Amino acid sequence: MSADPDILMLKGISKAFPGVQALEGATLCVAAGEVHGLVGENGAGKSTIIKIIAGVYDRDAGTMSIDGRHFDHVSPQGVHDAGVRFIHQELHLVPHFTVAESVFMGQEVTGKFGLKRKTMRLRAEAFLRDVLNTRISGDTLIRDLGIAERKLVQIARALIDDEAKIVVFDEPTAPLASSEIEQVFQAIRGLQERGIAMIYVSHYLGEITDICDRVTVFRNGRDVAVLDEVTEDSSDSIIRHMVGRDIEALYPEIHHKVGEPVLEVAGLGDGRKFFGVDLTVGKGELVGIAGLIGSGREELTDTIYGLNQPTTGTMTMDGVPNRFASPADAVGKGIVLVPRDRRHDGLVLDFTVADNINLASLEQVAVSILEDRSAAAKRAEKLAEQIDIRPRDPDAIARFLSGGNQQKVVLARWLATGAKLFILDEPTVGVDIGAKVEIYQLIEKLTAQGAGVIVSSSDPAELLGICDRIVVMLRGRVVANEAARSLTLDSLTALTTHSNPAEVLA
Amino acid sequence: MSDRAEHKDRGIRNVFVHYGFLIIIASFFAFFAFYTGSFLNASNLLNIVEGSSILLILALGMTLVVALGGIDLSVGIAFDMGAAFAIVALKEYDAAWYVAVLIGIGGGALVGLLNAFLIVRLSVSPFLATLGTFFIGSSIQRIFTNGGGPISYRRAPQEYRNLATGDLFGVPMEIVIAAVILIAYFIFLERSIFGKRIHAIGLQKTAARVAGIPVQRYVAIGFIIAAATCAIGGIIGSANLRMFTPLAGFSYLLDAIAAVFIGASMHPRGRPNVLGTLVGVLFLGMVANGLNLMGLDFNTKDALSGLILVAALAISVAQKRLR
Amino acid sequence: MTSRTAREPRRFGVPSLSAMAGYLPLVIFVCLLGYLSVVSSNFLTFPTFDLILRQAVPTTIVCLGLSIVVMAGGDDVVSGGIDLSIPAVAVLAAAIIADQLTNHAASLAVALPLALMAALLVGAVNAMLVVRIGMTPLLATLSTSVAVVGIVKVVTSSRRINVDHPAVVWLRDGTIGGVSSGVVLTLVFFGVFFFIAHRTRWGLNLQAVGGSRDAAEVSGIPVSRFVALSFIIAGFAGGLAAMFILARGSGSTPGTEENLLLEMVLATFLGSAFSPRRVVTLWGAILGAVLVSALSIGFKSIGVNVFWTGCIKGALILIVVASASLSAKFDRRKTAI
Repeated sequence: MSADPDILMLKGISKAFPGVQALEGATLCVAAGEVHGLVGENGAGKSTIIKIIAGVYDRDAGTMSIDGRHFDHVSPQGVHDAGVRFIHQELHLVPHFTVAESVFMGQEVTGKFGLKRKTMRLRAEAFLRDVLNTRISGDTLIRDLGIAERKLVQIARALIDDEAKIVVFDEPTAPLASSEIEQVFQAIRGLQERGIAMIYVSHYLGEITDICDRVTVFRNGRDVAVLDEVTEDSSDSIIRHMVGRDIEALYPEIHHKVGEPVLEVAGLGDGRKFFGVDLTVGKGELVGIAGLIGSGREELTDTIYGLNQPTTGTMTMDGVPNRFASPADAVGKGIVLVPRDRRHDGLVLDFTVADNINLASLEQVAVSILEDRSAAAKRAEKLAEQIDIRPRDPDAIARFLSGGNQQKVVLARWLATGAKLFILDEPTVGVDIGAKVEIYQLIEKLTAQGAGVIVSSSDPAELLGICDRIVVMLRGRVVANEAARSLTLDSLTALTTHSNPAEVLA
Repeated sequence: MSDRAEHKDRGIRNVFVHYGFLIIIASFFAFFAFYTGSFLNASNLLNIVEGSSILLILALGMTLVVALGGIDLSVGIAFDMGAAFAIVALKEYDAAWYVAVLIGIGGGALVGLLNAFLIVRLSVSPFLATLGTFFIGSSIQRIFTNGGGPISYRRAPQEYRNLATGDLFGVPMEIVIAAVILIAYFIFLERSIFGKRIHAIGLQKTAARVAGIPVQRYVAIGFIIAAATCAIGGIIGSANLRMFTPLAGFSYLLDAIAAVFIGASMHPRGRPNVLGTLVGVLFLGMVANGLNLMGLDFNTKDALSGLILVAALAISVAQKRLR
Repeated sequence: MTSRTAREPRRFGVPSLSAMAGYLPLVIFVCLLGYLSVVSSNFLTFPTFDLILRQAVPTTIVCLGLSIVVMAGGDDVVSGGIDLSIPAVAVLAAAIIADQLTNHAASLAVALPLALMAALLVGAVNAMLVVRIGMTPLLATLSTSVAVVGIVKVVTSSRRINVDHPAVVWLRDGTIGGVSSGVVLTLVFFGVFFFIAHRTRWGLNLQAVGGSRDAAEVSGIPVSRFVALSFIIAGFAGGLAAMFILARGSGSTPGTEENLLLEMVLATFLGSAFSPRRVVTLWGAILGAVLVSALSIGFKSIGVNVFWTGCIKGALILIVVASASLSAKFDRRKTAI
């Protein structure tokens, strides 16, 4: 396939932003009918080159051509007319619109008497069926669809005019459960049969090796490797190119001494999303919760933290029966949560770093009820230094920090509170590898100080790398509770995606 | 556009972004001083401050609610209830003046309690909840007064009347009370740890909740404190006229909202804040006073102040957005 | 927290708690109407029905305008689309017409365009404040509403102006094919609004803008233009309502806007409870307006103190929105804060 002439060619692309050389002579070539993976750490230049293709940024140097036609200046309209389509990570759909209305949004078919609703419905259904290999009624409301189906509707909207030649997918599977991914892959194969070139940007290397024909790896603004043959075993070499070092160093050495139980949960359920969960976390123990999105993992940790109320079961904290009416209650009793969506739930984005760090321990930096600003700044500075938050300025606004540093701010908030149990929900999502390692080291420190830690994650490798014990959830129930070293990547993945749930639920 | 012109353009923009509203206040001030002889008299300036006292009290309550991320359309009802409860306590139950004040504050707090119940327990958005409270409260006043006739009590005790007409070391009592509330609000909202939590809730409710702040309790108490504050305004109003005038509080609603938003536009990050609200209130007081001195008739004055209000809000929002 | 998983497909059978909470306002309305028809012997008669429809006319028209704004802005009352100034605009237009006809002996051909232009102007100011200046619709329209009421005072000197122009009398008393002329005209307006909003590309794009601004933007729909136009249309609807306000009150009366505002908000949000998609629609608005009018007249017919009616309507607003938000709360299949 690599013998085909490339339909999209970017060569020697450079782009600088104030203080950052985002791209430096990068090359990316994509052939018709191929799925071309684009991988790299955060900051490697993937999104910059995508935005150059889209005409959002002007390049400083280099050439770009589509279908043999050179583009000196790229405008969003120009690339659209040239047949390039972008499938953004966000779905951008209206929940109360029908599938047909959504597919034709902005390009409605009209006749003499207004909208031709039937035509639009039939064409939308036909496109979804014939091209994307899925059957959805055109009258279904978006809010009644699963996420994978919504993704397909989004794809159909971008391609319904039948003029697409190149499609750029930005993390198309990020919100999907792995059972749903295949549905999107089928659609991609459908497009491939039609000779459409695709760029597939993703962090999930397993998917890259599954679906892609070729892979370009970016590091530090350059293309460091192009893999022409992609097999299941390509992951290791991709990671080596991405990171420029070996992966074993990613995870710290585990040598935990597990003490008395901090938290014991028995038969906990909320009647909807998880049922009869038993879970024990000891002092200095790191327990992982594995499971797909939708497995009840998120709801379980939210409920332990008091964000929701359970309908069944008991919780015991330090041997005393307890149930947390609210997060405030949980924090008061020594449980803290680092939420999965840090921008929405973790940080007050318009607060300074110092205010965010001190938010949960304002009494410590107050004289009676008045805030002691210098004490607050000092405390924040000390914590920021401890875990290397950059920039080191306590007055920086949290919104403008990178993902990894934002996560560290949320962690810093809880560090000096003397919490006995830390719940970390997806602590490293959207964090680059350097910050990942630092976060793992930080978690290590917490356990070394005798705190219990729960890490809930959709990344099995991460859990295997750092946990003492892993609890696996599937469809709201615990299906395994094993020492981490008795599990392998294969066995853990198999447990989270058990092919015969009836057997488990029976 | 040449580089220099562009630079100059940005310069003008910068001036507007940082001092836009202050310039407008200054030009109104100069205009009134120029066109009306008596505007700059010390006694008139004192009039402006005194005349703004009640609005300031209501606007402070509004500042608290807006800082919590809500809005309170029922501040007028709390104002009315404060007046009604206090006057009725004095007239019908011969209550001592301080008891009447406490009962008035309690009456206002009831309005806040209803809002808090609707917002926290029933998850109604603050706008609709307080709009409903506004309609119900207005209707109750009409029922109670048989269509809106005032309840007057000419023989109100002197101590009660002093709340509006007395003075402390020569400073009118209204100003003293408003200043005390202003200082209390400043400490509470801008300098205390409660204020920090309130601003966190107003910016990002879920993040505040995850950080262990009891959000619902803060919201509920915030609405109750705001309503109680507004009731103090109503008590002063009723002490001044020695009567309860139904639905009198409504006229303060938009001015209070405007003062808060004008104040927010002066904050570096666009947050509602106590000192900004003070500036907003004084601006509105100045405009009302100046239009009065210009001798316009009642209807024209109403229309003009409405238009100035729209323009002032537009400029303050534009200023905040350009920052 | 933020929703990532899909809602499960609808299940059939026993209605869920959420569905029941959602229908609570309807149930209450039906019960109230049922009660009224039992207590008041002439409630279920044609004259009463005709009266209800005629009373509902001004509310219906301003509701049509508000629905368009909500469609373009989304139904979150604080950050989404709302236009609280429509009733004030309607009263302003009514004041201008009344002033022109009665005080200046102008012809309707002068008065009506003048009033409509004033209404469009306020709509354009709202559009500018929201789209250009970036004010929230709530704040923008609340403040223009106050300014407009101030202008009404200047136009009318805060006095009632009687109008006995034949056109206004015809709108009040005339009939077309046995049905009140006002009701027929309102149905025509409704038809036009309905076609534009639900049967044209423009209307669908308008709804897309309100449903998800980002989605509309990536689909190449000019969001700001739609939002701006929605406010201008709302202003126009206010202008249209003016003639019917004059007909209902035989002239312009100060303070009409307050009750109209109450009825408009109540009817529009009550209407969304009727819509299968649970969003503000034109059908919902018209049904809501008629129901609200039925209640007012029903209460009057059984001799309820008119001051109580405001209280009951206020409570109904709260019941409608509380049950909507509670229904959303029960409905959340996912954990949420």
